[in-house]
Amino acid sequence: MNYEHCIRCTICVENCPVFRVNPDFPGPKQAGPDAQRFRSEREKAQDDWVLLCSQCKRCEMACPCGVEPAQIILKAQQRYGNEHPQTPAHLLFANNYYLSALGSLTAPIANWAASTRLGKMIFRNMGIATYLPFPKFRFRTMRNEKKMLNKGRKKVAFFHGCFINFYRPDIGRKIIRLLVSMNVDVVLPPQWCCGLPALGNGNLSLARHFARKNAESLSNYIDAGYDIVYTCTSCGLCLLHDYPGILEIPQGKKIAENSYDLHEYIINLMNEEYVKPQFRTVNRKIAYHIPCHLRAMGIGYPAQKLMAQIPGVELEVLDESCCGLSGSYGFKKENASTAIQIGNRAVSLIRRTKMENIVSDCGSCRMQLGGLSGMPAFDPAEILCEAVLPATSPENFHTDS
Amino acid sequence: MSVTEYDVVIIGAGVAGLTAGALLSERGFNVALVTKGEPTACLSTGCIDVCSQNKNPLSGIRNLPREHPYNLIPEKMIKESLCLFQSDMNDAGLPYIGSSDENRSVLSALGTSKISCLIPSAMAAAPQENNNGSIHIITFKGLKDFYPGYIVSRRGSTKFSVYDAGVSTTMSLASRFEEKAFFEKFIAWLEKQTIHEEMIAFPAVLGMESATDIVNTISILTRKPVFEIPTIPPSMPGRRLFNALKKNFRQKGGVIYWAWPVAGTEKTGRVMEAVSTNSAGRPNSINAKAFILGTGSFVGGGLTATRATIEENVFDLPVHIPGPRETWFDNDYFSRNHGIGKAGIMTDAFMRPLDSPWKNIFVCGSILANAEVLKNGCGHGLALATAHAAAQSCSEYLSHEL
Repeated sequence: MNYEHCIRCTICVENCPVFRVNPDFPGPKQAGPDAQRFRSEREKAQDDWVLLCSQCKRCEMACPCGVEPAQIILKAQQRYGNEHPQTPAHLLFANNYYLSALGSLTAPIANWAASTRLGKMIFRNMGIATYLPFPKFRFRTMRNEKKMLNKGRKKVAFFHGCFINFYRPDIGRKIIRLLVSMNVDVVLPPQWCCGLPALGNGNLSLARHFARKNAESLSNYIDAGYDIVYTCTSCGLCLLHDYPGILEIPQGKKIAENSYDLHEYIINLMNEEYVKPQFRTVNRKIAYHIPCHLRAMGIGYPAQKLMAQIPGVELEVLDESCCGLSGSYGFKKENASTAIQIGNRAVSLIRRTKMENIVSDCGSCRMQLGGLSGMPAFDPAEILCEAVLPATSPENFHTDS
Repeated sequence: MSVTEYDVVIIGAGVAGLTAGALLSERGFNVALVTKGEPTACLSTGCIDVCSQNKNPLSGIRNLPREHPYNLIPEKMIKESLCLFQSDMNDAGLPYIGSSDENRSVLSALGTSKISCLIPSAMAAAPQENNNGSIHIITFKGLKDFYPGYIVSRRGSTKFSVYDAGVSTTMSLASRFEEKAFFEKFIAWLEKQTIHEEMIAFPAVLGMESATDIVNTISILTRKPVFEIPTIPPSMPGRRLFNALKKNFRQKGGVIYWAWPVAGTEKTGRVMEAVSTNSAGRPNSINAKAFILGTGSFVGGGLTATRATIEENVFDLPVHIPGPRETWFDNDYFSRNHGIGKAGIMTDAFMRPLDSPWKNIFVCGSILANAEVLKNGCGHGLALATAHAAAQSCSEYLSHEL
């Protein structure tokens, strides 16, 4: 850890969305490099305020000296989680994958239960905030898709992530159609939660458990000549950054080297002249909210580049604000007020653009910004589908939005 | 390796890089800007120092030593760069006042005067030379690093009052001022205060994108001149400047790659062809026909000093080193005459690095040798002027090549 490289310039503090609104959080400089000097292996962790960090990683983006405050805090969070009993909310969100799998199997009942007053009361008593409607589970998850093999030269193993799988499989199906229309073979490899929610809730061993299972599965596909394509930017950052990093997965490097953001992948296909998509006019005015974790990946904003080529699209990029939800962070009662304040700030910047649609790569950003603003919120792949795919689909895909 | 092609890649997101990028985008070139982190401009007061050595900044420039990089730029271009900056910032909602004919004073948090050329309009009403008018400072309960006592000790007639905003850092205060309900509550409090002093001053925390409007609103309401006093970092005026430059660059068509420290280059003969980074997963490279280097000096990350030598971090360009190591530092820490301030890249009149083979690299900003920005008070002004010169040469190079 490079905490000794910190020159205390405070650029990280300027970029911390939590610090702005929650006086209890001392900010990335103090919680990260400053406090690190005092953390001793011989004493029990007392720094409960590290749990207030949402791991947006904006501090790391800003630092001119290569210090990684969020990484230092992430390690402190794991340590705190290890040395203290977990709250029900932390346990629940760390195990979000199992919970969601159950929710999807029993979708109608689970959705009904989550929307009732009793359900919400139970949520609140467990420490879960209810300011946003809980996302609706879908009965028909991605699991049920058949392989889409067209004998294309390019083969993709699609890592759809939990959000798409359990809540918006319709978007997942659109992405498969999009890739198939570009003559790419798509399969859905056996996959589990990427592990990030467990990591974010201070449960390193559970995160590692998920990561190992995924790594084994994805690694086999890479060996068989498949590229891994992810659509959730937080899953992506976890695969690229945390598998070879904090999770110490043996195949981590191989997975990181062979995983691509969906839009980055499409741009590569275009660069290699594998496809030459003809974009139809899509008349939409779009405020493109950049998820913090896309920004952190260092690949630029590939979806911006694609959407900018669609005739009729009017686009303004917004990357100054975090949405505040940060996966399960804002769903915890103690963080709800922080998350709402951060989110309202992002919404006010979106309203200033006078655009009519929010677009964001991250499901939880869309949930938060759509929920707080009442504006429609789309995945960039949906906009791309409007421009590329025929209006009525030949494959008779079921979409349920 | 994923490859993307641009006309120009700018390295560095400071005043120099964003300005050069906006100029080239406006001329129709396809421009990408890559940056490791956020620029030191965010730590600055947001004021554009052109040359603070003289009452008239342009005369100050004429008196600079012959080797100073300002001498590579025609005076006409320096003036134009300042005018264009003012009009761009006006469009971005962050108007600047002042002109290249005369420097102005900004009241500092220590009660001294900072001399600068173009001033954010939120600081414009600060008392100028020989104005000993009384000031009433409104500060915020618990605000770290801003003590009105310093100003009171230098300007006897100063009074101050304290508002409890519930938060106590510059970032959080600026955020609160963007909330309508908070601002209304604050105004209601302000209206109840009896202020006899001639002017009202605030630490620079009056909002982010709405700062100009907030200062105007308070001024109209109190019927007194109102101005902000820049604070030490986290500095809101610095961040407002960065945000406005970024917005201007994007509106003209430029794209930005964050978390993109250049780790490698590809070249053929005398032509630099691509830069690459070790982004998460695999190296990512960007091809371009020309490159603009605006990475700043030591703090910005453009230069690294070792025990023995000084290195340029991106293209490994030859660095002008002011002398043996003993001459790098003055004994007085606060001296403005540290020899190391002269370290940097020497260029020809086209802003191309001297003694290096590259014909498609153009250099601008505080990485230039002999700039001595602290001593001469010329940081952002030099960045603007040299960015114009670099963009001009770059665009001529590209039109010639195409």
